[in-house]
Amino acid sequence: MKPHTAKSLHIGDALPPLTKSIVQRQIDCYSGVRPHSIHTDPEWARKKGFKVPIAQALMSTAYVSQMMVQFCGEGFVRGGRISVAFIKPVLVGDTLTAHGRIKSRDQEGGKTRVTVEVWCENQDGVKTMVGTASGLEADLQT
Amino acid sequence: MVEFKTISYEAVTIGEQFMSDDFLIKPEDVETFAFAVDDHHPWYFEGSPFGGTIAHPVLLGNQALLMRHSRYIVPAGLHAKMQFEFVEPLRVGMRVRSHGKVIDKYERRGRHYMVTQFETREEGTGKVLTRGQFTQMIFPESGVHRETTHR
Repeated sequence: MKPHTAKSLHIGDALPPLTKSIVQRQIDCYSGVRPHSIHTDPEWARKKGFKVPIAQALMSTAYVSQMMVQFCGEGFVRGGRISVAFIKPVLVGDTLTAHGRIKSRDQEGGKTRVTVEVWCENQDGVKTMVGTASGLEADLQT
Repeated sequence: MVEFKTISYEAVTIGEQFMSDDFLIKPEDVETFAFAVDDHHPWYFEGSPFGGTIAHPVLLGNQALLMRHSRYIVPAGLHAKMQFEFVEPLRVGMRVRSHGKVIDKYERRGRHYMVTQFETREEGTGKVLTRGQFTQMIFPESGVHRETTHR
């Protein structure tokens, strides 16, 4: 397991990015296979205007969560927050990279909340999700 | 007896409340989720600083998102925004349920949206595990949003 790194990074620093290649079987497991689903039924997805099934947007929040657990540890699992907007669909077969950059540190009830600007980009460099995530630094010692 | 109707902007009302089914977090759910998002962190399988294993913080997101399916037929929908607050770690063996309330609906650039606030609690103890809110697009009758789908 990677060591916690929150206190060694400063405002403006980037978190280690996470890259995910998304295959249909993963979408199937995430969303549950059913007919008439834009996530798991290719024909239905086409009828709804997508050339192939799309990944559930929520999968991108899981990637952000993974990045933040690696960064903040316990202080994300208990006290973490995510606030994001999904701005472009993620298609099956896309390779998505989750990025983070430390935005601020603020006192909160005797602890320090570290807020990270987060976004996901596909293989063409197009942003698919933007927002922030945060965790509590005071909970980091393990 | 639930009478399902196809979701539409007109049908959804502000203040409308939803409730998920209860759900037992099982080891296979943690494993399936880990495969789906390719995240096999040891805290989910070997042990964590919280005592024992925990589950991925986002594991129950779909329980909240799919609450509207307990009342409506949803032919398609896009998720526009998501806010999570992780209050307590999720653990295998917890039986959990999400409650939600529609707090807004609006039209923007010809598209319809609904905003739902939610809270997921452990059944029995009533302990809040996760809370937040999400914005979902309600597809038009035709079901196709060309500007959204073509990139």
